Amino acid sequence: MNTAPQTGLVLPELAGRAPEPSTSRAAEGCAIFIYIYIYFFFFPPATSFFFYFLAADPAVISPQDPTLLIGSSLTATCTVSADFHLRAEDLYWTLNGRRLPAASYAALGPTTLSVALARLNGSKQQSGDNLVCHSRDGGILAGSCLYVGLPPEKPVNISCWSKNMKDLTCKWAPGTEGETFLHTNYTLKYKLRWYGRDNTCQEYHTAGPYSCHIPKDLALFTPYEIWVEASNRLGVAVSDVVMLDILDVVTTDPPADVHVSRVGDLEDQLSVRWSSPPALKDFLFQAKYQIQYRVEDSSEWKVVDDVGNQTSCRLAGLRPGTVYFVQVRCNPFGIYGSKKAGIWSDWSNPTAASTPRSERAAGGCDPKGGEQNTTLRRELKQFFGWVKKHAYGCSNLSIKLYDQWRVWLQKSHKTRNQVLPGDKL
Amino acid sequence: MAAADTPSARTLRRHDLCSRGIRLARKMRSDVADLLDIYVERQGLDASVSVAAVEGVPAAAAEHWSEQTGTQRLLDNLAAYRAFRALLAQMLEEQREQLGDADAALGRALAAVLLQVSAFAYHLEELLELESRGPPGDDGDGPPAPPRLSLFEQKLRGLGVLRELAQWAVRSVRDLRQLARPSPGPSSAPGMAEGQ
Repeated sequence: MNTAPQTGLVLPELAGRAPEPSTSRAAEGCAIFIYIYIYFFFFPPATSFFFYFLAADPAVISPQDPTLLIGSSLTATCTVSADFHLRAEDLYWTLNGRRLPAASYAALGPTTLSVALARLNGSKQQSGDNLVCHSRDGGILAGSCLYVGLPPEKPVNISCWSKNMKDLTCKWAPGTEGETFLHTNYTLKYKLRWYGRDNTCQEYHTAGPYSCHIPKDLALFTPYEIWVEASNRLGVAVSDVVMLDILDVVTTDPPADVHVSRVGDLEDQLSVRWSSPPALKDFLFQAKYQIQYRVEDSSEWKVVDDVGNQTSCRLAGLRPGTVYFVQVRCNPFGIYGSKKAGIWSDWSNPTAASTPRSERAAGGCDPKGGEQNTTLRRELKQFFGWVKKHAYGCSNLSIKLYDQWRVWLQKSHKTRNQVLPGDKL
Repeated sequence: MAAADTPSARTLRRHDLCSRGIRLARKMRSDVADLLDIYVERQGLDASVSVAAVEGVPAAAAEHWSEQTGTQRLLDNLAAYRAFRALLAQMLEEQREQLGDADAALGRALAAVLLQVSAFAYHLEELLELESRGPPGDDGDGPPAPPRLSLFEQKLRGLGVLRELAQWAVRSVRDLRQLARPSPGPSSAPGMAEGQ
């Protein structure tokens, strides 16, 4: 015995956009009738169209799936199969679901109706406009997709980069209007300049919609010719050829092991250290680095541009007791004597560190004005004495020298505190 | 291991598989409904267009649904989802041929539903295994390739496939709910064991 009724057509908790499957327990003889009834229940012919899929083609549209230029004209014909007993006057046309005016029709025979379309606009969807021949009751007899558009335009602005000299990625910009209406296919091709044969890039969209990645088998020391072919149903357009040597377009991973640490108790400084990109360690190259840093509650980065090829740097003039985020990037250039400027890597992941809190700002410990003046005078006197000893002429005077002195001062404080606890300046 | 073979363990396992299957089918139905919206829009079709029958697309409508055995339900479902797997793969390929990767949203949605259909077919196979019935062999290629259709016919066939799949997802929920019910005895009609 069945445990529950099974005949409901709509499942309440599942009722939604898709119609329910019919589940009938009708008697054997009524089964087909009920099936048909259920079908028509969901697809009433008054509100929808039928396409006769299983039968022989009820009609044929010519031309089938044509490609046309914007502004051109087309005359299409719909010829009904004799089996369907339909005449030309029983037919009508729609384009993308809109009925075309009868004035554009002509009966070319008892079972053939034509329609004339003038000054066609670009296709409404890239899958093609739907030109459909209907019978009087709205049924679909045949359909044809129209592809109306423009030939592709030359791709422009090709730029390429090689990560650690192992691969090559190129980007380009499409023409302005070539793919507005028709799907356009892009193929990046490359070959060694003097004796290579054409190769086709296989991995598209790796760095955005108009990009391709060549993962391996690239030669060094010989320039490549690179170009992009754009093709659609209306033609092909080829970009200008770009010539490049892999060595000239090398970029690398962001510097590894970025460490940010305090400089003793100096409250306005942080020290940054990093390692050069390991992937390039076996290659002869130079490197430039850039640092950028920002305070925790700001999105504005300050860039330190003059780091040169050192792998450490001190940030000065910072706010005491503040968390800073620091990033470093690398530009490998001059690889095997390349004269090109090199390409900056991505920034390293942010590394955070805080500057020490200012002791003077710490509430009651702040000395009184007179005492502060005396301390400052004493420090300045001490600084000038130190400069006389460590700087040779004024040409070397810079904030770095001042920073060095501050470090020296801190160290001497510590030493004195250890030797003479409680002693004051 | 011994516990896995006891009737109560099997019942629990069947119930668990059915519950998970119901969740899968519901999610699939919701995703197919979204996919239908995208599909109709991208193909420029009228949402009210009806496709009477599409060759190779299994119909969800069943004449004696309530009288089907549990095994028969599973076998019908499995045959249907294997067919949908092949049909959706074909649609995806045709879509890529026509538009490349340009219409990423439609391609992604189609691929996601194809994955769900594959997962659901696998789930049904597990249920059949539990029944000691084992799934029937899968030739992997699905139904024989239909004759080459015009581009407009391809559009309509795709619509028919997605609509029927949406209906199947609803039917599958009901089928699995039937299967999840405790079976009064090995000989009763709608239970799980009667099909053996």
